Amino acid sequence: MKSLAIVVRDDAYDKILTPLAFAYLAAAEGTQVDMLFVNWAVRALTEKGAAELKIDGRHADEDAYVREQVARAGLPAGIHDILVALKETGCVSLYGCSLAGAIFDVNETNLIPQAEGIVGASWFLHEKAAKADLCQYF
Amino acid sequence: MSKPQPHFTLDAIGKCCPMPIVETNKAMRMLAAGQVLEIIATDVGTRSDIPSWCERTGNTLLGIEEDGTEIRFYVRKEH
Repeated sequence: MKSLAIVVRDDAYDKILTPLAFAYLAAAEGTQVDMLFVNWAVRALTEKGAAELKIDGRHADEDAYVREQVARAGLPAGIHDILVALKETGCVSLYGCSLAGAIFDVNETNLIPQAEGIVGASWFLHEKAAKADLCQYF
Repeated sequence: MSKPQPHFTLDAIGKCCPMPIVETNKAMRMLAAGQVLEIIATDVGTRSDIPSWCERTGNTLLGIEEDGTEIRFYVRKEH
């Protein structure tokens, strides 16, 4: 697999772990991974937003336990730290959706430096998702 | 068959997916072709992930040993 496109929508701490783990696996083998953060998940591309991600819903009271288990598994426990690790592979590009950015107040001023920028969804779908060997939605 | 002699050991005990594969990739970059990497893991997912990784990347899985919860993989770097 040479390229993987991932669209991330869900920003719950536990639910965002899976696309990040898949991206890390693929990037470790040299696969180019392009990730578009849409809806609430775009806030993960800001330091404040990443730090505020929590487990929600019926598992909300297990937040501390899950973070401890993630650290034991060897992953950086913080979402921002995982994004930094992904970027350090040299194979991952992180994009924020422009619509999501407008709705959830994410722009070039608060975007983490690891992110490529804010892009239109149409560009991502045509230039990245449609051309990738595999496209996943989370 | 004699036990392969590793040139480097990767301790992935306690670590879970994706870390054993991520760290295996990093460790293999430090080896020269022909050298052997020993990976010690406890994640049962590595039983399928490491052989599949070897096949995909063209490296040779020389052997697997299991002792209690520890799984040892011996991988020879081919290129």
